[in-house]
Amino acid sequence: MHGGLLLQVAGQLEPDGNRAELFGTIFEVFLVLGTAVGVVVIGYMLYNAYRYRDDGTAPAEETEDIGRPTLGELPEGGGHGRKLLLSFTLSAIIVISLILWTYWALLYVEAGAAQPAEPEMEDGTTVDVTGYQFGWQFEYPNGNTTDGTMYVPEGERVRIVVTSSDVMHNFGIPAFKTKTDAIPGQTTSTWFGPVEDGEYTIKCYELCGAGHSYMTGTVEVIDAEEYERMFVEPMNSTNASDGGTERVDPATAAGGSSAPSVGLPADGGVATRLPARTAATEGVLRA
Amino acid sequence: MTDDEHETTADPTGDEPAVSDGGTASDGGSIVDDDFPADGVPDTPHGDDHGLPPTHSIRRWFVTTNHKDIGLLYTVTALFFLIFGGLLALLMRLELWAPGADFLAAGSYNQAVSAHGLIMVFWFLSPLAFGFANYVVPLQIGAKDLAFPRLNALSYWLYLFSGILMGISFFQGSTFNGGWTMYAPLNMPVYTPDIGGTTTVLALILFVASATVGSVNFLTTMHRMRAEGMTLRRMPIFTWSILLTVWMMLFAFAALLAALMLLSSDRLIGTAYFAESSPGGAMLWAHLFWFFGHPEVYIVFFPALGAMAEIFQTFTGRRLVGRKWFIGAMLLVAIQSFVVWMHHMFLTSINLEIKTLFMATTIGISLPFDLMVFSLIYTMLKGKIRFKTPFLFGFGALVLFILGGITGVFLGAVVLDYTLRGTYWVVAHFHYVMVGGVTGLVGGLYYWFPKMTGRMYDETLGKVHFGMYFVGFNLLYFPMFLAWETPRRVFEYAPALTGWHQLSTVGAFLLGSSFLVMFYNLFKSAFVGEQVEGQPWDFASTAEWTVPSPPPLENFPGVPTYASGRLEFEDGGSAQTDGGAVHGKAAALPGSEVTETEHGGGESHASIWPFVLGAGAFLVLLGLSGLQRGYFPEGTMGGVHIGTAIVGGVLAFGSLVAMTREKFHGPEGPFGESWPFTTVENTKLGLWIFLASDVILFGAFIGAYVFSRVAHGWTDWHHLIPEAHVVLPGLINTYLLLTSSFAVVIAMEFAKRENRLGVVGSLVATVGLGVGFLINKGIEWQHLFHIHTEAFPAGWDPGTNIASTTFYVTTGLHALHVIVGLVIAGYMIFRAWGGAYMGDDEPIEYFGLYWHFVDIVWLFLFPLFYIV
Ligand code: HEM
Ligand SMILES: [Cu+2]
Ligand SMILES: [Cu+2]
Repeated sequence: MHGGLLLQVAGQLEPDGNRAELFGTIFEVFLVLGTAVGVVVIGYMLYNAYRYRDDGTAPAEETEDIGRPTLGELPEGGGHGRKLLLSFTLSAIIVISLILWTYWALLYVEAGAAQPAEPEMEDGTTVDVTGYQFGWQFEYPNGNTTDGTMYVPEGERVRIVVTSSDVMHNFGIPAFKTKTDAIPGQTTSTWFGPVEDGEYTIKCYELCGAGHSYMTGTVEVIDAEEYERMFVEPMNSTNASDGGTERVDPATAAGGSSAPSVGLPADGGVATRLPARTAATEGVLRA
Repeated sequence: MTDDEHETTADPTGDEPAVSDGGTASDGGSIVDDDFPADGVPDTPHGDDHGLPPTHSIRRWFVTTNHKDIGLLYTVTALFFLIFGGLLALLMRLELWAPGADFLAAGSYNQAVSAHGLIMVFWFLSPLAFGFANYVVPLQIGAKDLAFPRLNALSYWLYLFSGILMGISFFQGSTFNGGWTMYAPLNMPVYTPDIGGTTTVLALILFVASATVGSVNFLTTMHRMRAEGMTLRRMPIFTWSILLTVWMMLFAFAALLAALMLLSSDRLIGTAYFAESSPGGAMLWAHLFWFFGHPEVYIVFFPALGAMAEIFQTFTGRRLVGRKWFIGAMLLVAIQSFVVWMHHMFLTSINLEIKTLFMATTIGISLPFDLMVFSLIYTMLKGKIRFKTPFLFGFGALVLFILGGITGVFLGAVVLDYTLRGTYWVVAHFHYVMVGGVTGLVGGLYYWFPKMTGRMYDETLGKVHFGMYFVGFNLLYFPMFLAWETPRRVFEYAPALTGWHQLSTVGAFLLGSSFLVMFYNLFKSAFVGEQVEGQPWDFASTAEWTVPSPPPLENFPGVPTYASGRLEFEDGGSAQTDGGAVHGKAAALPGSEVTETEHGGGESHASIWPFVLGAGAFLVLLGLSGLQRGYFPEGTMGGVHIGTAIVGGVLAFGSLVAMTREKFHGPEGPFGESWPFTTVENTKLGLWIFLASDVILFGAFIGAYVFSRVAHGWTDWHHLIPEAHVVLPGLINTYLLLTSSFAVVIAMEFAKRENRLGVVGSLVATVGLGVGFLINKGIEWQHLFHIHTEAFPAGWDPGTNIASTTFYVTTGLHALHVIVGLVIAGYMIFRAWGGAYMGDDEPIEYFGLYWHFVDIVWLFLFPLFYIV
């Protein structure tokens, strides 16, 4: 019954497997097995509870030497030891093999996260993410930054390197089943994709203060070439209107559909300043 | 703590026999088998209560040190906190009725989330279990009381006052609102500035103090004071679960204490352990917290497991299947619980190797639980199962625990945890296990209710309670699995999930109202319920059921012994006039020179000082909560804070002195089984156990130093330290402390030779050297505070950087230990002058133990903070 699923997962372990699908498959196997075990065990409990209920009549076995506990005895164990060890071994085998099986998936996920942050990575890109109370800032290979909206190239894998500039946060994109802690003073990394065109929500999964519930963001998947031009190639007049401006509008610059604001490093260096807390979250802070 | 070691030093000259009337034991003709005196024998007459006021007098509840009274106090107080935490939960569920902050403000929601978690875990769940432990464990092992009855009362009062402090924090701006895990750096005053946040941390410290005192007491009692024949292996399963719980508590709470002390140092005097400026700060907190936090989940669950096992045995009429294995499994879990903590940190920056290791230990620790579950299930086979309320709850708890365990395996698979972490899946999982534990304890409450009150609860209402509870529980928590994509601790969620959350809220109210039924039932039954005799349950086997309900003040009609393989009461050789079945045994207990008459009585049961000490400690912390960055607020508020702290300090110190001077006699033991501590006297064992937890405390402080230093760069660290920080003062202090330890040894020698001046002289030398140590340290600190160099223009004080923080705080903790030692030594000089200790060097030996320990700690600190 699970053979199909297992094969399916093995297929997912191919290097360009997608994390969301990987999660989906493993989760499904766990659900099926977990439900089965739960039903069997609890069913068995209920059956025995009913079967051995005290209905007032002494059961036939009572004539056997049942050995009921008596008041003031020194505690000792009852029989059925063999049965106990048997079921224990069985359950241990299920649990251990289940987890071992997922270990290969873990190695795969970890390998993706550990890849070096090479901007010219053949198929994929790296975005640096910084969480702050209460929003997200993104920095791309060419030093451009955006706030609140993360742009990623369609059809490619995206590696993210996450940190925080104040308290702990947790950066998660539920649709891609990706999530990692944002820890001040440290970085963590993970990955997702390849992803399809569209807009997805970013959520914070670690309590970080009064604005935590509102600490969301958006992932916008854009055309790979457009992404290349905006966020990978070094800044020049094609992707920045002029060296002096701090913000550029890809809608006009590259003919995209939306109008995000992109912060450019004024001196071509890396933009590190974080935007001040926005007014919207300022109100929440003191609420 | 160490001041209390004189608990049992008063002379056991009491001559009141414990066996109230000779007739009790022999009433039924013989004391064999099921025919225990409990059946139909009246309670102890009133003349025998050792100056303890009667139960209907309010005063009794302030002065009592009897374990059964304290057990009742714990149980009732814990139930109050259940209401407190429960109301907060209902507020949250109302807020979650629909997405968005439409009912509570964002800040209030975070307060509710945080306080709910803290209250339920610390102030409700553990104390409820300790209510039962207090009541039942001494009865099960055959002890008259705990080893240190006044410390037991102190545990209770510290617990109650810590809870009150927690309640007060709500009125100081805001209670702590950074979640029950209190992650750094959100726990820093920059992000959670309200005084109430600090008060919460201090309340937790007070709670930990209570837990530590309690652990020391239970461990001493359970290891030293078991009845003859009650070997460790033969202990009832509930007692076993408590034994392992308190061992875990001893070490886990020491780690928590360290974390909380570092945190309050940051919050009160402005040090930098968890500040953003310390590169390892956030991870340091996570490690310290979860090193405590994971054992804590078993600390709250084990007692429930123990209660469930007792309930299963009684109501199925079967002995626990695989009892040996069950105990072995618990033992394994207790040990292993200290090596799984990083599974709460799978999404942090720890590397794959460590993740793999902790994944393995996590699976490893879930397997013993499988065994325990099967053991309980198989116990039902061939049973005569009676579905009384306690069994319903015990059975329900097992079902819930199984569901919680299965969903825990999901989290143990790291790939899945990557996604499930921080979502309602985790919320649902740990509620199934933890509230599953509560379910077991509620079963315990019904089970022991007749023992504690002498009256039976109403069975129908009990069943109604169970029905509402079980349906409400699953309605509340199961939808959380289905709505698992909701992030934890938010009130914004995807509108598509609204239905599940509304179901959940409905379940919450059903669950809540089921407790109204329980309160009504138990409250009413406590007064007008049907009276019960010793043993209302068929097939109950443990010793608490062999005595009347509620048991008399000193529990047993004679000295309990299992020498024959069954419980019997020895009557001190005199009262066994009839019914020859009572074996008159000579006092041939191994390792015991205690004679029967000494067993017989004179135990004290009343002291007001634990209460006063608790109140004093409470006021001290309430006063201190106003401190921020080393300063009290300006104006009257500051004055009020300082005044409160001073009054509290005077009360606390006064009651400590009063306690040492009070003539108080607790049970001493050994009473038969004390393995492996047969030759270690109670006070000494208590002191050893306490020092063991102190080792963990210092270990955590030193660990915090090493961790912060590694995170910063081990050698880079030197840039954080001024040139003026030199080796010499540390070296001098090493000599001073070593010599002072030597002086204590000499004092002991003089005490043996009964040389009064010698004792006084060498103790004075000890104190002199200790004071020298402190003065030298004071000079060193003053100098460092006020240096003006290019790198440190404003001096090098505790808040300057993480290096100064670790230096001052760690050696400061040591200095505090020195000060406590000096106070004790000062007191001993005073006593020695009056002629104490002549030929009795034990108190000096105990003090010496402590003092040498403080000394040894310094031998670790000196190289770490002055040389490398
Ligand atoms: C039966 C085997 C169990 C397994 C495999 C297991 C596994 C886990 C794992 C891996 C986590 C971390 C989830 C995360 O934060 O991402 C977790 C969380 C938790 N577990 Fe369990 N667990 C088990 C039993 C228990 C028991 C017996 C208790 C308590 C009585 C418990 C209480 C908790 C709590 C309180 C948390 C959440 C802590 C927090 O983040 O606030 N678990 N469990
Ligand atoms: Cu957040
Ligand atoms: Cu854990």
